[in-house]
Amino acid sequence: MTDIQKTIVVTGVGVVSPYGIGLDCLQTGMLSGKCCLTPTKDLYPGFDGTTAQVCGLPLLAEGSGSRYSRTDKLAVVAAQDAVADFDCGSVGFWESGVVMASTVAGLTEIDPEIAQDPAAWYRRGGLSRAASYPVAHVADAVGEHLGIRGPRCAVSVACASGAMAIALAANMLLDGAAPIILAGGSDALCPFTLGGFNSLQALDSSPCRPFDQNRKGLNLGEGSAVLMLETLAGAVARNANVLAVLRGWAMTNDAFHPTAPQQQGNGLAVCMCLSMEMAEVSSDEIGYVNAHGTGTPLNDIAEASAYETAFRGRTRPVPVSSTKSYFGHCLGAAGALEAVITIAAVRCGALFPTLRLTDPIESPGVDWLREEVRRQPLPLAMTVSAGFGGSNTALIFGSVRS
Amino acid sequence: MTPNLSAITGIGSVSPYGPLAGFIPRCPVEPSAITAWSTVGLRRAFLVKPFRPVSIVPGLKTRRLDRLSAWALVASSLAIQDAGIDLSQLDRSRVAVVFATGFGCVELTEAFYQSAAANGWSGTDPSTFSETLANAPASHVSLFHDLRGPNITVGSKGFAGESALIQAASMLRHGQADLAIVLAGDTLTRAVYEWYEAADLLSPACYNSEPLPEGGGFVPSEGVAALVLEPAGRREVRSYADFRSGRWAAGGQPVEIVRQMLGGSVPSITVCTTNGAPCATTPITAVAREIAGHSAAIVPPQAVPAGLADTSALLHLILALSSRPNSGQMLLLGTCGDGGFAALLLELP
Repeated sequence: MTDIQKTIVVTGVGVVSPYGIGLDCLQTGMLSGKCCLTPTKDLYPGFDGTTAQVCGLPLLAEGSGSRYSRTDKLAVVAAQDAVADFDCGSVGFWESGVVMASTVAGLTEIDPEIAQDPAAWYRRGGLSRAASYPVAHVADAVGEHLGIRGPRCAVSVACASGAMAIALAANMLLDGAAPIILAGGSDALCPFTLGGFNSLQALDSSPCRPFDQNRKGLNLGEGSAVLMLETLAGAVARNANVLAVLRGWAMTNDAFHPTAPQQQGNGLAVCMCLSMEMAEVSSDEIGYVNAHGTGTPLNDIAEASAYETAFRGRTRPVPVSSTKSYFGHCLGAAGALEAVITIAAVRCGALFPTLRLTDPIESPGVDWLREEVRRQPLPLAMTVSAGFGGSNTALIFGSVRS
Repeated sequence: MTPNLSAITGIGSVSPYGPLAGFIPRCPVEPSAITAWSTVGLRRAFLVKPFRPVSIVPGLKTRRLDRLSAWALVASSLAIQDAGIDLSQLDRSRVAVVFATGFGCVELTEAFYQSAAANGWSGTDPSTFSETLANAPASHVSLFHDLRGPNITVGSKGFAGESALIQAASMLRHGQADLAIVLAGDTLTRAVYEWYEAADLLSPACYNSEPLPEGGGFVPSEGVAALVLEPAGRREVRSYADFRSGRWAAGGQPVEIVRQMLGGSVPSITVCTTNGAPCATTPITAVAREIAGHSAAIVPPQAVPAGLADTSALLHLILALSSRPNSGQMLLLGTCGDGGFAALLLELP
């Protein structure tokens, strides 16, 4: 029997993606197979490649504390979207918590001159821009903008950040830290990360091809996604529309290498198994996995191995796709955006294919989704994230009936 | 075994007091003159004196790391040693690392910006980039000790340290780990120092060698504090304190909420962390007095940990425990901004 105090549900979803603002926009774009990755030249200094940008962000009234970075703005717009159907004037809303992930945060606002003569850069207007540098500023911007004053926390665990923010928020709800928590991730494109990944030679200059034998690397994108999470008891009490159930979550670390994944994907496999254990479901019950799938040679092979291990013994290969092929890798926002896509898949029974996947990695236990959207009832789906530093996170979402 | 309590069984720190396992001996520390970068006139801060990490922890390789990562490695190793833990006897997939930071690996972030300024964005240094990530210190702790449980890096304005401790205890409570290494810290660089200066947050004591004046800004500090946290009673070992519960919020009614958390009990000692040294609007001791009553023992904020701003809580806690308080309940209390607060309730043995 379901313990409604210990069941975590999603009652709101907010998205800002290269498709635009809102889940409908994202879902319609992805169902049509539209790819947002485009050549980017002369937009970021020293960068000539492929990215996916968010255009047309609305103007925001900035908080009293300090100026918003682009990462903050993406997060605030996504959070506003997440609470759009909620009566924000209702009793108790101000007690809500915020857990926001980011890796870039206010780096979007910093110029290289800061490292040469910081005081001079601050005098030239850098002072208020630098205030948005700490990763905690993203959660503050969201909380401040919505007028909520519960616990605020930032999560920065490289590319696993967005999913981990959702996992930690779920823990906090079980602890009674707040009645509602807005959890997600946000990251904007900026020269720092483009330059960094470029220096690592991790970028594909063309649109990426996750899980393809001929993959060459990743593309960077930007965006934000925010989930409104609460206990089922809380949702029932206020007669909320439950969009999905967060059935399981788990976090592990590879403890293998500062940047490379463990080649057998052991840490990620354990993470997936732990999330299924928590959700009390068998591997056969997972109808779809939204992969981390960056398109880098090392990540994708490790991830394929992880699926072989985690879903060993399953009667049919597990359907897997990487939706980074639509709008790139949004770093700290990726896990949250992919959680939203997984929820959308569950809600509309649509398994999104990986774009440009023509010659998949050989992996007999995996049913690589490609070419067409597959329509089928989907009671349970998983999303996995991994990042530099070896962190892994797996989330399992179920339909309300599940 | 008391499943809902977490015991602090190990302490380690790298701070202006030096790299230490266990308690920090009582000795006054004065701000030292900054020499790492050129300054116009005297500039002072509470600095970690340079040391060789490998001389403290054999086998450590830290040459390419941000000092924050190096200190996290040393502090975690000292805390594990202090807890008397033989990691080879543990299931390391059940050990979590939770790290709190305000600014992250700012030293190498500045170095990366330097390389961009010198060579353009297409000529940046690849070996530096991954070490700029805020989670690099926690990752190195997991990598060095082969810890394969959850590995999390958090930030929270004013309350990053408290948040890390609360999240770690939560993971133990929910069975997501059997043991957690909790760390909190930051490094001081020129860009950070001059940001404080430009924002007019520094104490006059930063500019002359007079004794620290009361109020009026703060003296920046640096370091990493580490705790080993495990379910209370799981092992027959000494516990410095048992963590009972914690609350934090960006605003509200701290007095009311903390009293509710205390459930009618009165802490024998309240340790003020004044995390919001640069931004608190209400004197922390006044809030503490209102919560704990007029006869309660209240320890005002300490200058060295207060200089760590967002990540001061763990060093404040270690200093408070080092003063060997009597048994009873200890409340660790911080305030920030307009009604923001964090409160940790601990049971002293």
